[in-house]
Amino acid sequence: MDVRLEGLSKSFGSNQVLKSLDMTFPERRFVTLLGPSGCGKTTLLRMIAGLEKATEGAIWFGGRRVDHLSPGERNIAMVFQSYALYPTMDVAANIGYGLKVRGMAKPDRAEKVGIVAKVLEIGHLLARKPKALSGGQRQRVALGRAMVRKPDIFLMDEPLSNLDAKLRATMRGELRRFHLDLQTTSIYVTHDQLEAMTMSDLVAVMDAGVVQQFGTPEEVYDRPANLFVAGFIGSPPMNFAEVELETTGGRPVLRLAGTALPAPDHFDLAGVPPRLVLGIRPQDVSVTNPDAAGAVPGTVWMTELIGSERLIEVEIAPKLRFTAEVKSSVRCALNSRAALRLDPARIHLFDAATGRSLARQDSLPG
Amino acid sequence: MSAKTLIGRVALYALLSAITFLVCFPLVWAFFTSVKPKEEIFRWPPTLWPESWTLENYRALLEGKQAYFQAGAAAASGPPPSAFFLDWFLNSLIVTLGTTAISTIVSTLAAYSLTRFRFPGQRAVPYLALVGYMVPSIIFVFPMFLVMADLRLTDTLFSLILGYVCITLPFCMWLMWAFFRGVPIEIEEAALVDGASRLRVFWEIVLPTAWPGIIAAAIFTLIVSWNDYLFGRVFMNSMENLPLTVGVMHFFDGTHVDWGLMMASSVLMTVPMAVLFMLLQKHLVAGFGAGAVKG
Repeated sequence: MDVRLEGLSKSFGSNQVLKSLDMTFPERRFVTLLGPSGCGKTTLLRMIAGLEKATEGAIWFGGRRVDHLSPGERNIAMVFQSYALYPTMDVAANIGYGLKVRGMAKPDRAEKVGIVAKVLEIGHLLARKPKALSGGQRQRVALGRAMVRKPDIFLMDEPLSNLDAKLRATMRGELRRFHLDLQTTSIYVTHDQLEAMTMSDLVAVMDAGVVQQFGTPEEVYDRPANLFVAGFIGSPPMNFAEVELETTGGRPVLRLAGTALPAPDHFDLAGVPPRLVLGIRPQDVSVTNPDAAGAVPGTVWMTELIGSERLIEVEIAPKLRFTAEVKSSVRCALNSRAALRLDPARIHLFDAATGRSLARQDSLPG
Repeated sequence: MSAKTLIGRVALYALLSAITFLVCFPLVWAFFTSVKPKEEIFRWPPTLWPESWTLENYRALLEGKQAYFQAGAAAASGPPPSAFFLDWFLNSLIVTLGTTAISTIVSTLAAYSLTRFRFPGQRAVPYLALVGYMVPSIIFVFPMFLVMADLRLTDTLFSLILGYVCITLPFCMWLMWAFFRGVPIEIEEAALVDGASRLRVFWEIVLPTAWPGIIAAAIFTLIVSWNDYLFGRVFMNSMENLPLTVGVMHFFDGTHVDWGLMMASSVLMTVPMAVLFMLLQKHLVAGFGAGAVKG
């Protein structure tokens, strides 16, 4: 079942946290709402769940308008950040509560709970109270509670954020696997781009109550629609610098820290102002010898080993440093001279005033 | 265990034993006095352990009325105070249970609304309630007596219930407020998403979670209303309507004190509370603890 938002707005007093959202979460897809704290992603999820009322607009589940319905009438399931298990009930009662509320007989309930518990490998915990469970086990119980009712839509509010890094990695894979098996439309809120990129069919990057870009993980990573998305997605973050757009010999040229770089042809540069923002990911920057033609010279400011790669930060102008992610075997002495070569095909250009990407429209997601 | 730790532990146990002795000695004394015959109670030097045991005082309290009427003495000088003991006991029981029911239910609902709904003054109410509790009861009791008199409620058990509710409700509400603040709202939202109605969520999810707090509030109310003397003394005047605390003072008539009856009454008054404490002490500690930490 798809989820459609029509002009959805939400204000708390004078503070508008969601600004007239129009978007569709396609049926059976796993969609992530990704953004920094306070961007409105959790509020949006809670509005879809029915836990917050919309100030304006409508929410549709398939052909059914639901924004006037209570959470229980929407046939959704939600996994909360804190898991929100019922502390006085044992695991079996926690998982089966939704079925009990719907009037299912005890034996049928026990059977369904048993099936879900088996899938989640928590069958041996059914008689325990939540306080006697580890974080990972609580997580599974919360998932079980969501899965047992066979809801139309799964909503998840940062469900992995309370787990340690190792368990989080395991659960990411399991959640993805469950989604592929169940094929239920899922909306997942996180501020962790790794979760968004690894688990999602589609990612909606949000900031300041607005969806900045809605596309596949590849699209938001490779073709960010604006400066915010470009800076938010990717680790280490994208390098940015202001550049001047010039014309040399009839060809557009970008001047970065005194070095002229031919402007790549995947941009629509007709009529744009001369001051632009250039962005490039550290993975698309290589370090070369300081006198190499077409490379941006500078001084090595810092190097960091991050496992199989090394980050080399080079100061290319006063207070302007670019990071290159290179093989760990590449070594540079601090304060030595070096030059950075930017992969022209991977350069991003943005309008300095609006932050909008200048990549050709046909190369941006629709 | 080092010598220092050992000395520290011995000192601690000595102190605890001394405190326990101070607390328990009057109770033990009251019990032994209650089972002594009159002449032994007044013997000098006094003895703790009774030489001869008797249940005469308890019989006088529990069968006093029946014995009085059976003896056909009604016309002479009226029944002795001991004949009213069971009336007083029942009065105290009704007032205590009534107060506890009203105070606990109202404070639970009020505290829940204070933590879950938004309205002007939402933050100030719990603190103001606590300030109200800090004012000594004696300041309230006379204005309240005038109000009760206007309402023609004096000398009724209901007036006592109302008075005790006024005294206990603010603290119970503050206690429950502190407790509900510690109950995560997500568990209620999870139940709403599971399809439960608001009322069902409150009944099946919130109340069981808040149970230790409710027990703590109930026990506090029970203690205050069972032990109060002031309101009973001011509001009530008929012999048969008195609560226990005021009634037993009739064993002291200005010229002599019937210590046997007084002590037997004290023991009988203490028993219900002691049993209740033993049954509920686990919840009580959890409730006050939770209130203190989460508040």
